[in-house]
Amino acid sequence: MQQAVKDTFNQGAARANAAYQMGRRRFTVDPITRLEGHGKIDIYLDEKGDVERAYMQVPELRGFEVFSLGRPAEDMPQITSRICGVCPTAHHMAATKCLDDLYQVEPTSAGRKIRELVYNTFMLEDHALHFFVLGGPDFVVGPEAPPAERNIVGVIGKVGLEAGKKVIGTRKRLRELITYFGGKVVHPVLGLPGGVSKALDPADLPKFQQLAKDGVEFAEWTLQVFKDIVLKNPDYVKMITSDAFTHKTCYMGTVDEQNRVNFYDGKLRVVDCTGKEIYKFHPRQYREFVAEHVEPWSYMKFTFLKPRGWNGFVEGPESSIYAVAPLARLNAADGMATPKAQAAYEEFYQILGGKPVHHTLATHWARVIEMIQAAETMEKLLNDPEITSPDVRRVPTAVPKEGIGVVEAPRGTLFHHYQTDERGCITMANMIVATANNASRIAMSVERAAKALIKGGKVTEGLLNKVEMAFRAYDPCLGCATHSLPGHLPLRVKIYDHHRQLVEELRQD
Amino acid sequence: MSTLSAKTIVLGLGNDLLTDDAIGLRVVREVAHRLASDSRVDVRETTEMGLALLDFIVGYERVILVDSIQTGRCPPGTIHELDATGLKQLTGRTPHFLGIGETLALGRQLGLAMPTEVRILAVEVADPFTLGTELTPALQRAVPDVVGLVLAAIRHPHAAQPASATGAA
Repeated sequence: MQQAVKDTFNQGAARANAAYQMGRRRFTVDPITRLEGHGKIDIYLDEKGDVERAYMQVPELRGFEVFSLGRPAEDMPQITSRICGVCPTAHHMAATKCLDDLYQVEPTSAGRKIRELVYNTFMLEDHALHFFVLGGPDFVVGPEAPPAERNIVGVIGKVGLEAGKKVIGTRKRLRELITYFGGKVVHPVLGLPGGVSKALDPADLPKFQQLAKDGVEFAEWTLQVFKDIVLKNPDYVKMITSDAFTHKTCYMGTVDEQNRVNFYDGKLRVVDCTGKEIYKFHPRQYREFVAEHVEPWSYMKFTFLKPRGWNGFVEGPESSIYAVAPLARLNAADGMATPKAQAAYEEFYQILGGKPVHHTLATHWARVIEMIQAAETMEKLLNDPEITSPDVRRVPTAVPKEGIGVVEAPRGTLFHHYQTDERGCITMANMIVATANNASRIAMSVERAAKALIKGGKVTEGLLNKVEMAFRAYDPCLGCATHSLPGHLPLRVKIYDHHRQLVEELRQD
Repeated sequence: MSTLSAKTIVLGLGNDLLTDDAIGLRVVREVAHRLASDSRVDVRETTEMGLALLDFIVGYERVILVDSIQTGRCPPGTIHELDATGLKQLTGRTPHFLGIGETLALGRQLGLAMPTEVRILAVEVADPFTLGTELTPALQRAVPDVVGLVLAAIRHPHAAQPASATGAA
């Protein structure tokens, strides 16, 4: 690399570090790093040239709290769902539940069921998208396949054109259901404190019942695709269970009263690395259990289990790091809430050697099991006579003050927390998104890959691909980062020696 | 030219809450005003991306996309015309996103009615990461130019558009 570039960067890094030392708790990214694009990984070597520490950063979405201040709380389900085009329904629903809490109003039974119907439809659609389009290429096409084939077209080449049409067609119909209730997928206008804005017309029920039935078949077929292509290939199974992709951390997920997986509502349950329940709490108590740790080199905040304290990026019995998302939800629960998903759940743990499963790449399998639960839940709700009840909203009367709303987004637990004045205008707004909950474990995965591939200052080929496989399983939500063209995530790796001087830079874009 | 009668969609992409990321939406809103009486051209705004774009473009012969871009190599407001053949390249390295190129290739593979002409106008932005509903000043000034370019693109179909008949996959 050119010396001048290196010098400029190191000067920038020194300035940024100096600024931090002056005591800013919230680290503002220096403009140099801002321009450097999206996925940024810093690797620090020790004196021997082995990896001491490696970190991944993604761009920070700025100004959320400032933007929210003074706005009517009722705007939050629209505002937060518009922040990110990737999981709008999750933000919309977390914000809506936050309003219930803020106005101390329980939604009517039918209102709640419609929310659950829309939410499970969203989970099925989003998980299907991830499995076939985003994560699928690693498995369905194969991790060793040339990059030009590791994409959705490659997936269709493998599973067949008809199957491809099925994926696209089902996804479209699922989105039609969301649109029916919410108006738009990205700007849904469904949730109101105490319920929803639209009831289900009995005349429209049959087509959605058919959709749910087809959805269950689709999810079961997806599981079969996974089994045929992935589980029957010993190389894939070996990779899933390899040390490189295994971390013994804690897991968090929302469970119902029987400790079964629930995406929409319930208590938060945390298990340790042996699978034992260590905490179970109401979403309102989240600040007693979840805290954020700040590292000097990153603007990302790393969440950890507050009662255990920040113990660093360690795994095992002392770890205060927890993961969220499909694998974590399965680990944190005692089972699935629907019969077909439960059967798939039992098979999952039987094949992978019992609970909990620590293999990050098994997240893809867990995601398919959740698709089955989402589809079965849709079917159950649409066969519930109450789903067409016009009584979809209870009008709140209490004076608002503070609300907390939590859902399981496809990518993991999502917290919304607002405070308002007595008119319901926002005075404080905070979110902890799924990717923040997973940030510590993602960092560990990145570091594991870096340690395996850099020895004595020598970088093995394939570092970037291996690192990507590790973080793709988490499906980190970089919605704000991935919107602008060219539409893919440029990944950049910088390697520093033990003097913190930049020695090498790799990029993939 | 015969393509003038072709059904065209002008699609603005972006997020209206992320400061400059709204540029594509702002531009096509203005384009919609100018073309209100032209039944051959549909103008839509969307905050969606990736696969969802298929739902918008299927059935149209021509697509003109207006989006933001951040290369960091030129001043905000600079207009890039991206080559659809460049974007057509399929990569397996996107953790979260199906790009426009992939989306087009997928639609063709599935035998959907895909556009024969795709033009992509991307406006260099200064700040697409801060929540806000106002464009930065440089970008505000660029809006009329971009609108003019988009209108020109609508009126003058690309000669020898490589993305057209050949198909990607």
